[in-house]
Amino acid sequence: MTDVIEIHKLTKIYSSSFGKKNIHALIDLSLNVRAGTIFGLLGPNGAGKTTLVKILLGITFPTSGWTKIFNTAISDYTIKKRIGYLPENHKYPPYLTGEEVMIFFGKLSGIKKPELRQKIKELLELVKLEKWKRTKVKAYSKGMMQRLGLAQALLNEPELIFLDEPTDGVDPIGRKEIRDILLALKSKGKTIFLNSHLLSEVELITDRVGILNKGRLIREGTVKELTERKEEYLITFDPDSTLMSIEDLINGFNLTKISELVYSLKVADITELNRLIDMIRKKEVMIKEIIQQKNTLEDIFISLIKEAEGEVK
Amino acid sequence: MRNVFIMSLFTFREALVRKVFIFFLGISAFILIGLAAAFSLIDTEAITQFANPEGKDKMIREIISSLQLIIVTPLAGLCLLLSIFASSSFIPNMLEKGNIDLLLSKPVSRTQLMLGKYFGGILVVFVNIAFLVVGVWSIISLKFSYWEFNFLFLIVIITFTFAVLYALIVFFGITTRSSIPGMMIAYLIYLVLSPVLLLGKDKIHLLTESEIIRTLIKGLYYIVPKTSELMGSISLSLVMKAEINEFRPIISSFIFLIVIMIYSGYLFNKKNF
Repeated sequence: MTDVIEIHKLTKIYSSSFGKKNIHALIDLSLNVRAGTIFGLLGPNGAGKTTLVKILLGITFPTSGWTKIFNTAISDYTIKKRIGYLPENHKYPPYLTGEEVMIFFGKLSGIKKPELRQKIKELLELVKLEKWKRTKVKAYSKGMMQRLGLAQALLNEPELIFLDEPTDGVDPIGRKEIRDILLALKSKGKTIFLNSHLLSEVELITDRVGILNKGRLIREGTVKELTERKEEYLITFDPDSTLMSIEDLINGFNLTKISELVYSLKVADITELNRLIDMIRKKEVMIKEIIQQKNTLEDIFISLIKEAEGEVK
Repeated sequence: MRNVFIMSLFTFREALVRKVFIFFLGISAFILIGLAAAFSLIDTEAITQFANPEGKDKMIREIISSLQLIIVTPLAGLCLLLSIFASSSFIPNMLEKGNIDLLLSKPVSRTQLMLGKYFGGILVVFVNIAFLVVGVWSIISLKFSYWEFNFLFLIVIITFTFAVLYALIVFFGITTRSSIPGMMIAYLIYLVLSPVLLLGKDKIHLLTESEIIRTLIKGLYYIVPKTSELMGSISLSLVMKAEINEFRPIISSFIFLIVIMIYSGYLFNKKNF
Protein backbone atom coordinates (compact mmCIF):
# COMPACT_ATOMS: atom_id res chain seq x y z
CA MET A 1 0.00 0.00 0.00
CA THR A 2 1.32 3.45 -0.88
CA ASP A 3 1.39 6.44 1.42
CA VAL A 4 -1.19 9.04 0.45
CA ILE A 5 -0.06 11.55 3.08
CA GLU A 6 3.58 12.11 4.01
CA ILE A 7 4.50 14.50 6.79
CA HIS A 8 8.15 15.11 7.60
CA LYS A 9 9.44 16.99 10.66
CA LEU A 10 6.61 19.48 10.52
CA THR A 11 6.78 22.47 12.84
CA LYS A 12 4.35 25.35 13.02
CA ILE A 13 4.97 28.34 15.24
CA TYR A 14 2.42 31.12 15.48
CA SER A 15 4.11 34.39 16.35
CA SER A 16 2.18 36.79 18.52
CA SER A 17 2.46 40.55 18.19
CA PHE A 18 6.07 41.71 18.42
CA GLY A 19 7.12 38.05 18.79
CA LYS A 20 6.82 38.19 22.56
CA LYS A 21 4.98 34.92 22.91
CA ASN A 22 5.26 32.25 20.26
CA ILE A 23 2.77 29.42 20.14
CA HIS A 24 4.19 26.07 19.05
CA ALA A 25 1.17 24.50 17.36
CA LEU A 26 3.15 21.59 15.89
CA ILE A 27 6.59 20.35 16.85
CA ASP A 28 8.74 18.13 14.65
CA LEU A 29 5.80 15.99 13.58
CA SER A 30 6.34 13.10 11.19
CA LEU A 31 3.54 10.83 10.05
CA ASN A 32 2.46 8.77 7.04
CA VAL A 33 -1.07 7.71 6.13
CA ARG A 34 -1.63 4.76 3.84
CA ALA A 35 -4.05 4.64 0.95
CA GLY A 36 -7.45 3.07 1.59
CA THR A 37 -7.35 3.42 5.37
CA ILE A 38 -9.18 5.53 7.94
CA PHE A 39 -6.72 7.46 10.08
CA GLY A 40 -7.99 9.06 13.26
CA LEU A 41 -6.15 12.00 14.77
CA LEU A 42 -6.97 12.46 18.44
CA GLY A 43 -5.97 15.14 20.84
CA PRO A 44 -7.32 17.55 23.42
CA ASN A 45 -8.43 21.02 22.37
CA GLY A 46 -5.47 23.06 21.16
CA ALA A 47 -3.35 19.99 20.45
CA GLY A 48 -2.73 21.11 16.87
CA LYS A 49 -5.11 18.76 15.02
CA THR A 50 -6.81 21.44 12.93
CA THR A 51 -3.49 23.19 12.25
CA LEU A 52 -2.11 19.94 10.86
CA VAL A 53 -5.06 19.51 8.49
CA LYS A 54 -4.85 23.13 7.42
CA ILE A 55 -1.16 22.73 6.58
CA LEU A 56 -1.89 19.56 4.64
CA LEU A 57 -4.46 21.48 2.59
CA GLY A 58 -2.32 24.58 2.07
CA ILE A 59 -4.62 26.79 4.15
CA THR A 60 -1.80 27.49 6.60
CA PHE A 61 1.93 27.34 5.88
CA PRO A 62 4.45 25.41 8.00
CA THR A 63 7.34 27.11 9.78
CA SER A 64 9.59 24.17 8.85
CA GLY A 65 9.31 20.63 7.54
CA TRP A 66 7.32 19.44 4.57
CA THR A 67 4.18 17.58 3.59
CA LYS A 68 3.16 15.73 0.46
CA ILE A 69 -0.21 14.46 -0.69
CA PHE A 70 -0.26 11.91 -3.50
CA ASN A 71 3.48 12.47 -3.63
CA THR A 72 2.90 16.11 -4.61
CA ALA A 73 3.48 19.31 -2.66
CA ILE A 74 0.20 21.03 -1.81
CA SER A 75 1.46 24.27 -3.38
CA ASP A 76 0.22 22.62 -6.59
CA TYR A 77 -3.43 23.47 -5.96
CA THR A 78 -4.69 21.24 -8.79
CA ILE A 79 -4.03 18.26 -6.52
CA LYS A 80 -7.07 19.39 -4.55
CA LYS A 81 -9.27 17.95 -7.29
CA ARG A 82 -8.57 14.62 -5.60
CA ILE A 83 -9.28 15.87 -2.07
CA GLY A 84 -12.47 16.53 -0.09
CA TYR A 85 -12.60 18.54 3.13
CA LEU A 86 -15.14 19.15 5.82
CA PRO A 87 -13.78 21.83 8.15
CA GLU A 88 -14.80 22.29 11.75
CA ASN A 89 -17.39 25.09 12.12
CA HIS A 90 -17.74 25.54 8.38
CA LYS A 91 -19.75 28.48 7.13
CA TYR A 92 -21.76 28.79 3.98
CA PRO A 93 -23.23 31.98 2.55
CA PRO A 94 -26.53 32.15 4.48
CA TYR A 95 -28.47 33.42 1.49
CA LEU A 96 -27.79 30.24 -0.53
CA THR A 97 -29.93 27.11 -0.39
CA GLY A 98 -28.38 23.73 0.29
CA GLU A 99 -28.51 22.92 -3.41
CA GLU A 100 -26.90 26.25 -4.37
CA VAL A 101 -24.07 25.62 -1.90
CA MET A 102 -23.46 22.31 -3.63
CA ILE A 103 -23.58 23.95 -7.07
CA PHE A 104 -21.09 26.63 -5.99
CA PHE A 105 -18.55 24.22 -4.53
CA GLY A 106 -19.14 21.72 -7.33
CA LYS A 107 -18.33 24.36 -9.93
CA LEU A 108 -15.23 25.41 -7.99
CA SER A 109 -14.19 21.76 -7.96
CA GLY A 110 -14.35 21.78 -11.74
CA ILE A 111 -17.36 19.46 -12.12
CA LYS A 112 -19.29 20.00 -15.35
CA LYS A 113 -23.00 20.89 -15.21
CA PRO A 114 -24.88 17.69 -16.23
CA GLU A 115 -22.67 15.53 -14.04
CA LEU A 116 -22.94 18.05 -11.20
CA ARG A 117 -26.77 17.94 -11.12
CA GLN A 118 -26.75 14.16 -10.87
CA LYS A 119 -23.99 14.14 -8.25
CA ILE A 120 -25.79 16.71 -6.09
CA LYS A 121 -28.99 14.67 -6.20
CA GLU A 122 -27.18 11.50 -5.17
CA LEU A 123 -25.25 13.12 -2.35
CA LEU A 124 -28.17 15.05 -0.89
CA GLU A 125 -30.09 11.78 -0.84
CA LEU A 126 -27.16 10.05 0.81
CA VAL A 127 -27.01 12.59 3.66
CA LYS A 128 -30.82 12.79 3.80
CA LEU A 129 -31.09 16.45 2.83
CA GLU A 130 -32.98 15.98 -0.44
CA LYS A 131 -36.14 17.36 1.16
CA TRP A 132 -34.32 20.49 2.36
CA LYS A 133 -32.32 21.30 -0.76
CA ARG A 134 -34.35 24.40 -1.58
CA THR A 135 -34.22 25.74 1.98
CA LYS A 136 -31.72 28.52 2.72
CA VAL A 137 -28.82 27.22 4.81
CA LYS A 138 -29.41 29.90 7.45
CA ALA A 139 -32.44 27.81 8.48
CA TYR A 140 -30.40 24.60 8.81
CA SER A 141 -29.68 23.04 12.20
CA LYS A 142 -26.10 22.20 13.23
CA GLY A 143 -26.68 18.57 12.31
CA MET A 144 -28.02 19.48 8.88
CA MET A 145 -25.02 21.75 8.29
CA GLN A 146 -22.71 18.84 9.09
CA ARG A 147 -24.57 16.61 6.65
CA LEU A 148 -24.39 19.27 3.96
CA GLY A 149 -20.69 19.72 4.75
CA LEU A 150 -20.10 16.02 4.29
CA ALA A 151 -22.02 16.05 1.00
CA GLN A 152 -19.96 18.96 -0.38
CA ALA A 153 -16.74 17.22 0.72
CA LEU A 154 -17.72 14.21 -1.42
CA LEU A 155 -18.82 16.18 -4.50
CA ASN A 156 -15.67 15.65 -6.53
CA GLU A 157 -15.47 11.93 -5.65
CA PRO A 158 -12.25 12.55 -3.74
CA GLU A 159 -9.66 9.87 -3.16
CA LEU A 160 -8.65 11.49 0.11
CA ILE A 161 -11.14 13.04 2.53
CA PHE A 162 -10.29 15.22 5.51
CA LEU A 163 -13.03 15.43 8.11
CA ASP A 164 -12.71 17.74 11.09
CA GLU A 165 -15.22 16.73 13.78
CA PRO A 166 -17.73 15.40 11.22
CA THR A 167 -20.33 14.27 13.78
CA ASP A 168 -20.26 17.45 15.83
CA GLY A 169 -23.86 18.42 16.58
CA VAL A 170 -25.28 15.32 14.89
CA ASP A 171 -27.75 13.12 16.79
CA PRO A 172 -26.86 9.47 17.58
CA ILE A 173 -28.77 8.09 14.58
CA GLY A 174 -27.12 10.62 12.32
CA ARG A 175 -23.73 9.69 13.75
CA LYS A 176 -24.31 6.06 12.95
CA GLU A 177 -25.32 7.02 9.41
CA ILE A 178 -22.18 9.13 8.97
CA ARG A 179 -20.06 6.26 10.31
CA ASP A 180 -21.68 3.94 7.79
CA ILE A 181 -20.99 6.40 4.98
CA LEU A 182 -17.33 6.60 6.01
CA LEU A 183 -17.01 2.81 6.15
CA ALA A 184 -18.67 2.56 2.72
CA LEU A 185 -16.16 5.09 1.38
CA LYS A 186 -13.32 3.08 2.83
CA SER A 187 -14.62 -0.05 1.17
CA LYS A 188 -14.39 1.84 -2.13
CA GLY A 189 -10.69 2.41 -1.48
CA LYS A 190 -10.92 6.03 -0.29
CA THR A 191 -8.53 7.31 2.34
CA ILE A 192 -10.08 9.18 5.25
CA PHE A 193 -8.26 11.46 7.68
CA LEU A 194 -10.51 11.99 10.65
CA ASN A 195 -10.03 14.62 13.35
CA SER A 196 -12.22 13.95 16.32
CA HIS A 197 -12.42 14.07 20.06
CA LEU A 198 -15.20 11.48 20.13
CA LEU A 199 -12.92 8.61 21.04
CA SER A 200 -15.57 5.90 21.07
CA GLU A 201 -16.46 6.79 17.50
CA VAL A 202 -12.87 6.85 16.31
CA GLU A 203 -12.35 3.47 17.93
CA LEU A 204 -15.23 2.05 15.92
CA ILE A 205 -14.08 2.98 12.44
CA THR A 206 -10.38 3.84 12.27
CA ASP A 207 -7.58 1.57 11.16
CA ARG A 208 -4.80 3.67 12.66
CA VAL A 209 -4.81 6.35 15.28
CA GLY A 210 -2.41 9.15 16.15
CA ILE A 211 -2.54 10.96 19.47
CA LEU A 212 -1.44 14.56 19.42
CA ASN A 213 -0.72 16.64 22.49
CA LYS A 214 0.65 20.16 22.53
CA GLY A 215 1.84 19.83 18.95
CA ARG A 216 3.66 16.53 19.44
CA LEU A 217 2.60 13.15 18.14
CA ILE A 218 2.87 11.10 21.32
CA ARG A 219 1.58 7.76 20.01
CA GLU A 220 0.63 6.21 16.70
CA GLY A 221 -0.59 2.76 15.81
CA THR A 222 -3.59 0.59 15.10
CA VAL A 223 -6.49 0.76 17.55
CA LYS A 224 -5.65 -2.85 18.54
CA GLU A 225 -2.01 -2.02 19.20
CA LEU A 226 -2.95 0.92 21.35
CA THR A 227 -5.69 -0.71 23.37
CA GLU A 228 -4.52 -4.26 24.08
CA ARG A 229 -2.79 -5.03 27.34
CA LYS A 230 -0.37 -7.66 26.16
CA GLU A 231 0.38 -9.43 29.44
CA GLU A 232 -3.05 -9.34 31.04
CA TYR A 233 -5.70 -12.02 30.64
CA LEU A 234 -9.02 -12.80 32.21
CA ILE A 235 -9.54 -16.52 32.82
CA THR A 236 -13.00 -17.93 33.49
CA PHE A 237 -13.18 -21.49 34.85
CA ASP A 238 -15.96 -23.94 34.36
CA PRO A 239 -18.35 -24.11 37.35
CA ASP A 240 -17.69 -27.85 37.70
CA SER A 241 -14.02 -27.24 38.51
CA THR A 242 -12.92 -27.79 42.06
CA LEU A 243 -11.96 -24.53 43.68
CA MET A 244 -9.16 -26.13 45.64
CA SER A 245 -7.38 -27.07 42.47
CA ILE A 246 -7.51 -23.51 41.22
CA GLU A 247 -6.33 -22.02 44.50
CA ASP A 248 -3.34 -24.35 44.41
CA LEU A 249 -2.23 -22.80 41.16
CA ILE A 250 -2.13 -19.26 42.46
CA ASN A 251 1.15 -19.86 44.21
CA GLY A 252 3.36 -20.01 41.18
CA PHE A 253 1.62 -17.32 39.13
CA ASN A 254 0.43 -13.76 39.39
CA LEU A 255 -3.22 -14.78 39.50
CA THR A 256 -5.78 -12.55 41.21
CA LYS A 257 -9.24 -13.70 42.09
CA ILE A 258 -11.91 -11.41 40.63
CA SER A 259 -14.96 -13.53 41.42
CA GLU A 260 -15.71 -17.17 42.27
CA LEU A 261 -14.68 -18.49 38.87
CA VAL A 262 -12.96 -15.52 37.27
CA TYR A 263 -9.28 -14.75 37.72
CA SER A 264 -7.06 -12.07 36.36
CA LEU A 265 -3.65 -13.24 35.18
CA LYS A 266 -0.51 -11.24 34.59
CA VAL A 267 2.26 -13.04 32.76
CA ALA A 268 5.67 -12.08 31.48
CA ASP A 269 5.05 -13.52 28.03
CA ILE A 270 2.96 -15.98 26.08
CA THR A 271 5.16 -18.93 27.19
CA GLU A 272 4.20 -18.31 30.79
CA LEU A 273 0.54 -18.19 29.80
CA ASN A 274 0.84 -21.53 28.05
CA ARG A 275 2.72 -23.02 31.02
CA LEU A 276 -0.18 -22.06 33.26
CA ILE A 277 -2.72 -23.52 30.83
CA ASP A 278 -0.74 -26.77 30.74
CA MET A 279 -0.72 -26.94 34.52
CA ILE A 280 -4.44 -26.21 34.78
CA ARG A 281 -5.28 -28.83 32.21
CA LYS A 282 -2.99 -31.34 33.95
CA LYS A 283 -5.11 -30.93 37.05
CA GLU A 284 -8.18 -31.45 34.87
CA VAL A 285 -9.61 -28.06 35.68
CA MET A 286 -11.91 -26.93 32.89
CA ILE A 287 -11.19 -23.50 31.34
CA LYS A 288 -14.29 -21.79 29.97
CA GLU A 289 -12.56 -18.80 28.34
CA ILE A 290 -9.38 -16.78 28.26
CA ILE A 291 -9.71 -13.16 27.17
CA GLN A 292 -6.85 -10.77 26.62
CA GLN A 293 -7.53 -7.67 28.65
CA LYS A 294 -8.13 -4.47 26.68
CA ASN A 295 -8.18 -0.79 27.47
CA THR A 296 -10.65 1.46 25.77
CA LEU A 297 -9.17 4.10 23.52
CA GLU A 298 -10.38 6.61 26.07
CA ASP A 299 -8.33 4.93 28.86
CA ILE A 300 -5.23 5.02 26.67
CA PHE A 301 -5.87 8.57 25.53
CA ILE A 302 -6.28 9.87 29.08
CA SER A 303 -3.28 7.99 30.43
CA LEU A 304 -1.05 9.13 27.54
CA ILE A 305 -2.11 12.74 27.89
CA LYS A 306 -1.54 12.61 31.65
CA GLU A 307 1.83 10.98 31.12
CA ALA A 308 2.77 13.68 28.60
CA GLU A 309 1.56 16.42 30.93
CA GLY A 310 3.71 14.89 33.69
CA GLU A 311 6.74 14.92 31.44
CA VAL A 312 6.12 18.53 30.53
CA LYS A 313 5.81 19.50 34.20
CA MET B 1 -10.24 31.98 -15.73
CA ARG B 2 -13.28 29.74 -15.15
CA ASN B 3 -12.76 29.92 -11.38
CA VAL B 4 -12.51 33.73 -11.46
CA PHE B 5 -15.78 33.81 -13.40
CA ILE B 6 -17.53 31.49 -10.91
CA MET B 7 -16.31 33.55 -7.96
CA SER B 8 -17.42 36.77 -9.70
CA LEU B 9 -20.90 35.42 -10.33
CA PHE B 10 -21.32 34.34 -6.72
CA THR B 11 -20.00 37.71 -5.53
CA PHE B 12 -22.65 39.31 -7.73
CA ARG B 13 -25.21 37.05 -6.07
CA GLU B 14 -23.88 38.10 -2.64
CA ALA B 15 -24.24 41.74 -3.65
CA LEU B 16 -27.86 41.28 -4.68
CA VAL B 17 -28.64 40.08 -1.17
CA ARG B 18 -27.30 43.34 0.22
CA LYS B 19 -30.07 45.87 0.43
CA VAL B 20 -27.76 48.75 -0.58
CA PHE B 21 -27.45 47.65 -4.20
CA ILE B 22 -31.16 46.99 -4.49
CA PHE B 23 -31.76 50.36 -2.81
CA PHE B 24 -29.66 52.09 -5.44
CA LEU B 25 -31.35 50.21 -8.28
CA GLY B 26 -34.65 51.30 -6.74
CA ILE B 27 -33.56 54.95 -6.62
CA SER B 28 -32.34 54.74 -10.22
CA ALA B 29 -35.61 53.17 -11.36
CA PHE B 30 -37.61 55.81 -9.48
CA ILE B 31 -35.60 58.63 -11.06
CA LEU B 32 -35.92 57.12 -14.53
CA ILE B 33 -39.70 56.87 -14.16
CA GLY B 34 -39.84 60.45 -12.86
CA LEU B 35 -37.64 61.62 -15.70
CA ALA B 36 -39.78 59.88 -18.31
CA ALA B 37 -42.92 61.44 -16.80
CA ALA B 38 -41.36 64.92 -16.66
CA PHE B 39 -40.08 64.72 -20.23
CA SER B 40 -43.46 63.68 -21.52
CA LEU B 41 -44.67 67.14 -20.42
CA ILE B 42 -41.83 69.08 -22.07
CA ASP B 43 -42.10 70.41 -25.58
CA THR B 44 -38.63 70.00 -27.09
CA GLU B 45 -39.49 72.14 -30.11
CA ALA B 46 -40.11 75.09 -27.78
CA ILE B 47 -36.63 74.67 -26.30
CA THR B 48 -34.84 74.60 -29.64
CA GLN B 49 -36.94 77.08 -31.63
CA PHE B 50 -34.70 80.03 -30.76
CA ALA B 51 -31.58 78.43 -32.15
CA ASN B 52 -30.52 79.51 -35.62
CA PRO B 53 -30.80 76.63 -38.12
CA GLU B 54 -27.02 76.21 -38.60
CA GLY B 55 -26.38 75.96 -34.87
CA LYS B 56 -29.45 73.91 -34.01
CA ASP B 57 -27.73 70.54 -33.99
CA LYS B 58 -24.90 71.79 -31.81
CA MET B 59 -27.36 73.37 -29.40
CA ILE B 60 -29.44 70.21 -29.10
CA ARG B 61 -26.28 68.20 -28.52
CA GLU B 62 -25.17 70.57 -25.77
CA ILE B 63 -28.60 70.59 -24.13
CA ILE B 64 -28.76 66.82 -24.18
CA SER B 65 -25.24 66.31 -22.83
CA SER B 66 -25.76 68.91 -20.09
CA LEU B 67 -29.08 67.44 -19.08
CA GLN B 68 -27.64 63.95 -18.97
CA LEU B 69 -24.64 65.09 -16.92
CA ILE B 70 -26.79 67.10 -14.50
CA ILE B 71 -28.95 64.06 -13.80
CA VAL B 72 -26.29 61.35 -13.80
CA THR B 73 -23.32 62.99 -12.04
CA PRO B 74 -24.89 63.28 -8.56
CA LEU B 75 -26.45 59.84 -8.92
CA ALA B 76 -23.15 58.30 -9.99
CA GLY B 77 -21.52 59.93 -6.98
CA LEU B 78 -24.20 58.43 -4.75
CA CYS B 79 -23.76 55.06 -6.44
CA LEU B 80 -20.01 55.14 -5.71
CA LEU B 81 -20.61 56.05 -2.06
CA LEU B 82 -23.12 53.22 -1.63
CA SER B 83 -20.98 50.76 -3.58
CA ILE B 84 -17.94 51.43 -1.41
CA PHE B 85 -20.09 50.82 1.66
CA ALA B 86 -21.70 47.64 0.33
CA SER B 87 -18.63 46.06 -1.25
CA SER B 88 -16.26 46.67 1.65
CA SER B 89 -17.39 43.48 3.36
CA PHE B 90 -16.93 41.15 0.36
CA ILE B 91 -13.31 40.29 1.18
CA PRO B 92 -13.66 40.14 5.01
CA ASN B 93 -16.69 37.84 4.57
CA MET B 94 -14.67 35.57 2.32
CA LEU B 95 -11.85 35.46 4.87
CA GLU B 96 -14.11 34.41 7.75
CA LYS B 97 -13.05 31.25 9.52
CA GLY B 98 -14.98 28.30 8.17
CA ASN B 99 -15.54 29.98 4.82
CA ILE B 100 -11.99 30.59 3.63
CA ASP B 101 -10.98 27.07 4.76
CA LEU B 102 -13.57 25.60 2.46
CA LEU B 103 -12.63 27.81 -0.47
CA LEU B 104 -8.93 27.07 -0.11
CA SER B 105 -9.60 23.34 0.01
CA LYS B 106 -10.94 23.50 -3.56
CA PRO B 107 -8.75 23.38 -6.68
CA VAL B 108 -8.68 27.16 -6.93
CA SER B 109 -5.61 29.36 -6.52
CA ARG B 110 -5.65 32.16 -3.99
CA THR B 111 -5.11 34.68 -6.76
CA GLN B 112 -8.19 33.39 -8.57
CA LEU B 113 -10.26 33.74 -5.38
CA MET B 114 -9.10 37.31 -4.88
CA LEU B 115 -9.65 38.30 -8.51
CA GLY B 116 -13.08 36.65 -8.49
CA LYS B 117 -14.13 38.79 -5.54
CA TYR B 118 -12.60 41.86 -7.18
CA PHE B 119 -14.28 41.46 -10.56
CA GLY B 120 -17.55 40.41 -8.90
CA GLY B 121 -17.64 43.71 -7.00
CA ILE B 122 -16.87 45.65 -10.16
CA LEU B 123 -19.54 43.76 -12.08
CA VAL B 124 -22.17 44.85 -9.55
CA VAL B 125 -21.24 48.52 -9.87
CA PHE B 126 -21.06 48.21 -13.65
CA VAL B 127 -24.61 46.84 -13.78
CA ASN B 128 -25.90 49.55 -11.42
CA ILE B 129 -24.24 52.38 -13.33
CA ALA B 130 -25.14 50.94 -16.73
CA PHE B 131 -28.79 50.73 -15.70
CA LEU B 132 -28.78 54.37 -14.65
CA VAL B 133 -26.73 55.79 -17.52
CA VAL B 134 -28.43 53.79 -20.28
CA GLY B 135 -31.81 54.63 -18.74
CA VAL B 136 -31.17 58.39 -18.64
CA TRP B 137 -29.54 58.32 -22.07
CA SER B 138 -32.45 56.41 -23.64
CA ILE B 139 -35.15 58.68 -22.17
CA ILE B 140 -33.45 61.93 -23.18
CA SER B 141 -32.35 60.67 -26.58
CA LEU B 142 -35.82 59.37 -27.35
CA LYS B 143 -37.36 62.69 -26.37
CA PHE B 144 -35.04 64.75 -28.55
CA SER B 145 -34.72 62.04 -31.21
CA TYR B 146 -31.03 62.62 -31.08
CA TRP B 147 -28.66 59.78 -30.26
CA GLU B 148 -25.30 60.86 -28.91
CA PHE B 149 -23.32 57.77 -27.87
CA ASN B 150 -20.50 59.63 -26.07
CA PHE B 151 -22.57 59.73 -22.94
CA LEU B 152 -22.22 55.95 -22.57
CA PHE B 153 -18.48 56.39 -21.94
CA LEU B 154 -19.58 57.47 -18.50
CA ILE B 155 -20.32 53.84 -17.61
CA VAL B 156 -16.69 52.91 -18.25
CA ILE B 157 -15.18 55.87 -16.45
CA ILE B 158 -17.37 55.54 -13.31
CA THR B 159 -16.78 51.79 -13.16
CA PHE B 160 -13.05 52.42 -13.54
CA THR B 161 -13.13 54.96 -10.68
CA PHE B 162 -14.82 52.37 -8.50
CA ALA B 163 -12.30 49.70 -9.60
CA VAL B 164 -9.44 51.89 -8.36
CA LEU B 165 -11.09 52.51 -4.98
CA TYR B 166 -12.17 48.88 -4.69
CA ALA B 167 -8.55 47.76 -5.15
CA LEU B 168 -7.80 49.65 -1.93
CA ILE B 169 -10.77 48.04 -0.21
CA VAL B 170 -9.47 44.61 -1.28
CA PHE B 171 -6.00 45.44 0.04
CA PHE B 172 -7.25 46.57 3.46
CA GLY B 173 -9.73 43.67 3.56
CA ILE B 174 -6.89 41.19 3.13
CA THR B 175 -4.49 42.85 5.55
CA THR B 176 -6.98 43.65 8.33
CA ARG B 177 -9.83 41.17 7.62
CA SER B 178 -12.16 44.03 8.45
CA SER B 179 -14.42 46.12 6.24
CA ILE B 180 -14.01 49.41 8.15
CA PRO B 181 -10.40 50.48 7.29
CA GLY B 182 -10.79 49.91 3.55
CA MET B 183 -14.13 51.70 3.49
CA MET B 184 -12.75 54.67 5.44
CA ILE B 185 -9.66 55.02 3.27
CA ALA B 186 -11.75 54.82 0.10
CA TYR B 187 -14.09 57.53 1.40
CA LEU B 188 -11.11 59.61 2.51
CA ILE B 189 -9.58 59.47 -0.96
CA TYR B 190 -12.82 59.97 -2.83
CA LEU B 191 -14.29 62.73 -0.71
CA VAL B 192 -11.24 64.51 0.75
CA LEU B 193 -7.77 63.65 -0.52
CA SER B 194 -8.38 63.56 -4.24
CA PRO B 195 -10.32 66.88 -4.45
CA VAL B 196 -7.99 68.62 -1.98
CA LEU B 197 -4.84 67.44 -3.76
CA LEU B 198 -6.26 68.43 -7.13
CA LEU B 199 -6.91 71.90 -5.82
CA GLY B 200 -3.73 72.00 -3.74
CA LYS B 201 -1.22 71.11 -6.46
CA ASP B 202 -2.09 74.28 -8.38
CA LYS B 203 -2.80 76.62 -5.49
CA ILE B 204 -0.20 75.42 -3.00
CA HIS B 205 2.18 78.27 -3.85
CA LEU B 206 -0.45 80.67 -2.51
CA LEU B 207 -0.68 78.85 0.81
CA THR B 208 2.93 78.10 1.72
CA GLU B 209 6.46 79.12 0.92
CA SER B 210 7.83 75.80 2.15
CA GLU B 211 9.38 73.81 -0.66
CA ILE B 212 9.05 70.61 1.38
CA ILE B 213 5.28 71.00 1.79
CA ARG B 214 4.89 71.90 -1.89
CA THR B 215 6.87 68.78 -2.92
CA LEU B 216 4.90 66.67 -0.47
CA ILE B 217 1.55 67.85 -1.81
CA LYS B 218 2.64 67.36 -5.40
CA GLY B 219 4.10 63.92 -4.57
CA LEU B 220 0.88 62.88 -2.88
CA TYR B 221 -1.09 64.14 -5.84
CA TYR B 222 0.80 61.80 -8.16
CA ILE B 223 0.45 58.81 -5.84
CA VAL B 224 -3.18 59.08 -4.70
CA PRO B 225 -5.77 57.92 -7.27
CA LYS B 226 -7.27 60.87 -9.07
CA THR B 227 -10.94 60.11 -8.57
CA SER B 228 -11.91 63.79 -8.70
CA GLU B 229 -10.49 64.20 -12.17
CA LEU B 230 -11.92 60.88 -13.35
CA MET B 231 -15.39 61.82 -12.18
CA GLY B 232 -14.97 65.47 -13.13
CA SER B 233 -12.95 66.82 -16.03
CA ILE B 234 -12.35 63.50 -17.77
CA SER B 235 -16.04 62.46 -17.62
CA LEU B 236 -17.05 65.90 -18.85
CA SER B 237 -14.64 65.92 -21.75
CA LEU B 238 -15.63 62.39 -22.78
CA VAL B 239 -19.33 63.18 -22.73
CA MET B 240 -19.12 66.61 -24.35
CA LYS B 241 -16.28 66.11 -26.83
CA ALA B 242 -15.78 62.35 -27.03
CA GLU B 243 -12.11 62.82 -26.28
CA ILE B 244 -9.78 62.68 -23.33
CA ASN B 245 -7.79 65.87 -22.95
CA GLU B 246 -5.45 64.47 -20.30
CA PHE B 247 -4.45 60.84 -19.90
CA ARG B 248 -2.24 61.31 -16.82
CA PRO B 249 -5.03 60.84 -14.23
CA ILE B 250 -6.19 57.67 -15.95
CA ILE B 251 -2.71 56.21 -16.33
CA SER B 252 -1.55 57.05 -12.81
CA SER B 253 -4.80 55.72 -11.30
CA PHE B 254 -4.46 52.55 -13.37
CA ILE B 255 -0.85 52.08 -12.20
CA PHE B 256 -2.06 52.59 -8.61
CA LEU B 257 -4.74 49.92 -9.16
CA ILE B 258 -2.27 47.41 -10.63
CA VAL B 259 0.36 47.96 -7.92
CA ILE B 260 -2.21 47.62 -5.12
CA MET B 261 -3.72 44.47 -6.65
CA ILE B 262 -0.32 42.82 -7.19
CA TYR B 263 0.70 43.59 -3.61
CA SER B 264 -2.69 42.38 -2.30
CA GLY B 265 -2.26 39.16 -4.26
CA TYR B 266 1.24 38.70 -2.85
CA LEU B 267 -0.01 39.17 0.73
CA PHE B 268 -3.03 36.92 0.20
CA ASN B 269 -0.81 34.16 -1.17
CA LYS B 270 1.40 34.33 1.95
CA LYS B 271 -1.35 34.58 4.54
CA ASN B 272 -2.11 31.86 7.10
CA PHE B 273 -5.76 31.08 7.77
